Amino acid sequence: MASEQRELEPRRAAELLGRIEKNVHHVIVGKDRVVRLAAAGLVAGGHVLLQDLPGTGKTMLARALATSVGGAFRRIQCTPDLLPSDITGSSIFNQKDASFEFVAGPIFANIVLADEVNRATPRTQSALLEAMGEGQVTIEGITRTLEKPFFVIATQNPTEFHGTYPLPESQLDRFILAAEMGPPTDAEAIEILARREHGDPIGELGSVVSLADVLELQEGCLRVVSGPAIRTYIVSLLDAIRVRPEVSLPASMRSGVYLQRAAQAWALFEGRDFVLPDDIKLLAVPVLAHRLGMRGRAQASELVEQVVATVPLPPLRQH
Amino acid sequence: MKLPRLRLPASPIENSLEGRAFVFSGFAVAVLAVVLYGEDYVVPAVGVGVAAVGHVVSYRERAGKRGLGRQILLASLVFASLGYFLADSVGAFFGGVLPQANFAILLVAVTSFDLKTRRNCYSSLWISLAILYLAAVYAWDYPFGVLLGLWTLCLAGFWAASHLRRMGAPVAVPVPAVATALVGALALGLIAFVVIPQPSIDPNGPVVVSLPNYVGFKGELENPALPLIQLSGDPSGATGTLDLHYRGRLGDAPVMYVRSGAPAYWRGLVFDTYHDGVWTASNRGFATLQPYVPSRLLPPAPPHNLGTFVQVFRVLRPLPGVISAAYPLQSLYAPVSSLRVDAYGTFRTPDLLRPGQTYSAVSYLPNLSPEELRQDPYVFNPPDANPAYLDYSSLSDRALALAEEVTLDYSSNQFDLVMALTSYLQQNFQYTQQLGHVPAGRDPVDWFLFDAKKGYCEQFATAEVLMLRGLGIPARLATGYATGDYNPVLNQSVVREHDAHAWVEVWFQNHGWVPFDPTPGVPGLAATTFPNHWAGGGIARLIPHLTIGAPMAVLGSLGALAVVPPAVVIALLVTLLWAWMRTWRRRAVAARRLPPGESELLRLYERVQRRLGRRRAPPETPLEYWLAHTARPEGERVPLEELTDAVNEGAYAGRWPDPARVRELAKRLS
Repeated sequence: MASEQRELEPRRAAELLGRIEKNVHHVIVGKDRVVRLAAAGLVAGGHVLLQDLPGTGKTMLARALATSVGGAFRRIQCTPDLLPSDITGSSIFNQKDASFEFVAGPIFANIVLADEVNRATPRTQSALLEAMGEGQVTIEGITRTLEKPFFVIATQNPTEFHGTYPLPESQLDRFILAAEMGPPTDAEAIEILARREHGDPIGELGSVVSLADVLELQEGCLRVVSGPAIRTYIVSLLDAIRVRPEVSLPASMRSGVYLQRAAQAWALFEGRDFVLPDDIKLLAVPVLAHRLGMRGRAQASELVEQVVATVPLPPLRQH
Repeated sequence: MKLPRLRLPASPIENSLEGRAFVFSGFAVAVLAVVLYGEDYVVPAVGVGVAAVGHVVSYRERAGKRGLGRQILLASLVFASLGYFLADSVGAFFGGVLPQANFAILLVAVTSFDLKTRRNCYSSLWISLAILYLAAVYAWDYPFGVLLGLWTLCLAGFWAASHLRRMGAPVAVPVPAVATALVGALALGLIAFVVIPQPSIDPNGPVVVSLPNYVGFKGELENPALPLIQLSGDPSGATGTLDLHYRGRLGDAPVMYVRSGAPAYWRGLVFDTYHDGVWTASNRGFATLQPYVPSRLLPPAPPHNLGTFVQVFRVLRPLPGVISAAYPLQSLYAPVSSLRVDAYGTFRTPDLLRPGQTYSAVSYLPNLSPEELRQDPYVFNPPDANPAYLDYSSLSDRALALAEEVTLDYSSNQFDLVMALTSYLQQNFQYTQQLGHVPAGRDPVDWFLFDAKKGYCEQFATAEVLMLRGLGIPARLATGYATGDYNPVLNQSVVREHDAHAWVEVWFQNHGWVPFDPTPGVPGLAATTFPNHWAGGGIARLIPHLTIGAPMAVLGSLGALAVVPPAVVIALLVTLLWAWMRTWRRRAVAARRLPPGESELLRLYERVQRRLGRRRAPPETPLEYWLAHTARPEGERVPLEELTDAVNEGAYAGRWPDPARVRELAKRLS
């Protein structure tokens, strides 16, 4: 019986995730991979960083995802004058009761969109840290736990832009994966125009899965098997990156943990209850590249791609 | 490109003092073996002393770093030892008895200053084992097994002490285990003694000595034969004589190396005339030949011979110009200006044989079995019409009477008669090295037979020759060397001064001159008759000759003590068998725990990859391999999808398919 349950569950997970993806695709044309990456970040219980030029649909993707899941969705538009308390909330003196009353900030939600996160000052950015890392915030000495699921989807403009504060490495390390939207193809662009002819379709979007479903998916993700061969493979990838001379800040152990978790989530999309090395290969760039410190003009994503293409798999035979 | 560095895995520092004591003891045991069997003392004594200091130094400094200066010093000392080894083994500069063993001893002594890790200690022990092996070349007796056992004990002790120390446990003797092993070995040995038939050997049985045997042959034979040959005038020694009145001392110095397909006596000069205690050769005639003597210039092959064997002689000391070799010769080559063959078939060189000179001979292995020789009739005419072969004028009357009395019952044929006399001399007279001078005015043979009753080989041989002649059988005295000590490491015999020997040659109608050796001290051994068959087939060149028949003879000579070696061997075999069975059973259990289908599936996957002509690249996943395959034209494609899924599920989810399912997949793919 146990084995039957195990076989059934990934199929249901795939079905739920398919619903989310289909819903998001009502507003996002193409970009299957980015959509799935963002959703995988949610299922893996991490936070996702989307980066690209303005106007490539980052915010739209975040909103569509939030809407599909239901639950409380808040948006933080980051600007240089944004203060930490604008994110976490603060106590306000209620003259009627003659007492201080806590007014929750936008972080108290299930899905938080931190738009243009690198335009906020480092002080404000770090206010996000505790919330993202521990699922709780401390305001005026009182620690408040955030409701689950808690999912931050941050967008960022390229760092060369004016008025940006590059995210500190510690905060970059807290995002399970980072994805780039990339420009649409001509056919996609035409489709986008066609859909916007009579208004913005995001208003018509509704939720397709419940918060409980999301929690169930997150739990299911933890049950996906990541075998010894996969673990060996991840470690050999991290080692191979570490020895490269271009790398000044190698991938942390946390990145290895995230890579495994993201791959577990990815397996669910295909209705699998075990991780394949293909999942690792596919997720290596989104999970690893954004947190590597590089020397000179070397590109982290290119380096990770090279490593993935050359590091041998562990042997199939395990006995 | 960076080349990978070849490095041994790190070995832990050896902290156990007891372990190091065992390593040193193992070395001491090996050195003791060299002292006992090699009779070499200087280098072993120095080696043990230096090694003791070295062990103390390396124990004290085991945690420190290896200094460059000391490493260089040790390395140069190792090379110095190598230099000593070469000088001693090639040039015998230090009169080296066991240069290889001495080299190994010096090596251990030098490296004992650098015993840091456990691996270093093991290396030292293995070199000690090598020293034991080299000493074993000279040791064919039972106590050597005791030394080997002691060394094994040291090895086991080191292993135990090292591991106990590593676990932080005290070193103690496991009394019950040791007692069980001892009692078990003894019990098994007793059973083996009852079950295994014992070899029955008559140590005094008559034997035709065309080949010596080795059991009791430990170099104590000091036969002052050859140096007694007086060199006068002709430097080649062609006018040599042998005087029984006088004897010289013979040392251990090597005379020559012999590499031979079979062991034999190396015959040199032959004498036919005995007068007043002095042997001389009556016929001074000779023929001159080219340095290469082919078989057509030599006497015809003996009938029913067992084939031929090659010997190569390398001279180490200046020797008279006499070619010593196993006779009868088939062919001969000596790098000299010309060769002379004397009237007795012995070859001479124009000058003395110099150190380093080499010559080689091919000899027949005559079939000298008693059955063969018994068919020969009595001969009354001396060969070559040489009356000297029958001249017994020097023999006293009572000696002749003794000969007639001894052979009275054996006169049915010539062979039995000769054997009777030979055995009589072997059994009733004693071989000795401590013989005084023959009293003035006495005939040496008469004095030997009736007064001294002991003597050297030439006394025995002379007595037998004269007595045989008195009985009407042509005989003569042969001199030369015994085989020497066979060294399996060098695959050659080392012939020493004390291997010089004298024996008897008797003329047989159909077999020519047949050697007999009346000298005792070489107990007869039935086993020695079959090495010549081996040698005839050329197989003997592949195996150490001296071991043939020797183990059984050793067992036989030990009597009741013979229980112990088989007991040890059997106990060892039983233990090994038991260990092997246990390992095998564990493996079998482990194999049963293997996920079924794993091997089958992966083998099928390998097979399919081979068939497709492209193996999966190391960084390529099974899915990628399949995708790459689908890019092929339709006709070449194979339904790989199912197999890929099965492999993925097995390798990454641990769910291997049933063997039946694998077979089904294989059927579908083929």
